[in-house]
Amino acid sequence: MKTSRGIHRFKHYHGSLALTYLLAVSLFLLTIPSFSFAADEAVGSALNGIGDFTIVRTDGIEESLEGKGNLLLYEGDVIKTDVASQGLLEFSNGIQVALNENTEFTILSRWVKDQGFTRILRLDQGEIWVDTQGGPKPLEIETPVATAAVKGTEFDLLVEPNGQSTLTVVSGVVEFGTAFGTCPIKTSKISYGNRGKKCTKPKSVNVSPNIAWTEGIREE
Amino acid sequence: MKVAQNRFSLVGGILVMGLLAGCVTPPPAPQGPTTIVYVANESSNSVSVIDGTTFEPLGEIDTLNHATHDLSLARTGKQLWATNLASGRVSVIDTDKKETIASIYTGKRAHVVTLTNNNKHAWVANISDNTISIIDTNLFRILGTIPVPGGPMGITFSRNGKFAYVSTKDKHVNVIDTMAHQVIKRIPVGPNPHFLVLGPDGQIWGTNTGSNSIYTIDPKTNEVSHTLEVGPAPQQIAFAFKGTAGPNAYVTVAGINKVIMVSANTPTPQVKGQIDVGQGPNGIWSNDVGTRLYIGHTKSNDLKVLDTGTNTVLATIPVGRKPIRVVASK
Repeated sequence: MKTSRGIHRFKHYHGSLALTYLLAVSLFLLTIPSFSFAADEAVGSALNGIGDFTIVRTDGIEESLEGKGNLLLYEGDVIKTDVASQGLLEFSNGIQVALNENTEFTILSRWVKDQGFTRILRLDQGEIWVDTQGGPKPLEIETPVATAAVKGTEFDLLVEPNGQSTLTVVSGVVEFGTAFGTCPIKTSKISYGNRGKKCTKPKSVNVSPNIAWTEGIREE
Repeated sequence: MKVAQNRFSLVGGILVMGLLAGCVTPPPAPQGPTTIVYVANESSNSVSVIDGTTFEPLGEIDTLNHATHDLSLARTGKQLWATNLASGRVSVIDTDKKETIASIYTGKRAHVVTLTNNNKHAWVANISDNTISIIDTNLFRILGTIPVPGGPMGITFSRNGKFAYVSTKDKHVNVIDTMAHQVIKRIPVGPNPHFLVLGPDGQIWGTNTGSNSIYTIDPKTNEVSHTLEVGPAPQQIAFAFKGTAGPNAYVTVAGINKVIMVSANTPTPQVKGQIDVGQGPNGIWSNDVGTRLYIGHTKSNDLKVLDTGTNTVLATIPVGRKPIRVVASK
């Protein structure tokens, strides 16, 4: 019942044209809240860019943001920064994400009945800072070797070229899981995810140096 | 007098026994398990559900995605996983409620899904991303990805779960160490190797859909142990019995509209026969006891039920458009 880029829920209609139309409209209205991750609904905005900050749309079109602005973001967009570049964006539910240089992630989602949508960022490489701003919001960051499930928090996640993922939690709790086990990481703790291994036991860390890189992009 | 008393007792006894017999309900006769067959309809974006014993259609499930391609059923029979090529997503289906309960993005051209031997993870081959996504089957959360260059197409696991076998478009089967999540070996096979399945002999059986052959891989050596010509465009394989003979591998061969029967219990697999089926045979699955084969036909859009004892078609059931994969509950 959506556009060609969306989801078709219903397949066969029988009976008169009027009845079919009424049924289709009713079903459409009933189902909108339960399942609609159409790529034509904005999911947030890019707010600030330093250097080469690019959004690649699902059709391959590239858009850039230099300085402050309001560039709408959609499901499936790939967000990229180049060398000596940074970016800041905010999702519709208030979650803020900053990208450090040489970073790339894709905006995705998961739908589960009775739970709704979870925003997912698939971080292929680089470093991001996340602040969920006021309470738990459904967000997960997928890296090549681990997933960070957010429970109302501020954190930094760095992905090395070999996939090794370093999670630093500034405040709150993050469920940090690999295929070999999950570790809850709390405030001022650091943990590492490596291919073929469980996430490492959390260690205390001074978080300030790990998020110092965000000062420029957040204050611009 | 004595005789009369005895006769009275006898008649009374028969009456009492008759009354008791009328009151006591005999135990119900044992019933065989009901096999439920699921068919992925690629061009209908749906899964058809069919009673595998009565051959009655039970419904059609909307996968809420596009180009539903492969299916994997949990051991409990309660959860059915479906890939959707065009959406790059897997759908999770609650088989009791016959509805899709989750939609998870894995990667571009999500082709096949296979559950690990303990059913804790679902592995999904994303052809255009050259990755395998690993999903927690309880949380529906992606826990990691394994790079597999060459266009991953099919997945199966060894009996002990130590190895995963992933066929790739570049004519190889990749062996993945499931504890390290790394490709440890690439085995050359034939053109467009597609489907992979664990055989009853513990060997890995695969089809070279781009040519005429099937092959087996010995998981002890991780080398091709046999290659056998079966006809053009072999698609999928199921294992069943023909009376006392078997287990046999039944291969759908789309290029000649036949199912080829291959011995799977001899040192060297051999073609033992061929069975005419419908147009474009592709998905094939056996019931748990190996007496029935359920075969999807991508051109005639139906499912045929084959009795392996007589090689006769027992039923033809219309399904959705382009039925590409068939699985059944135990």
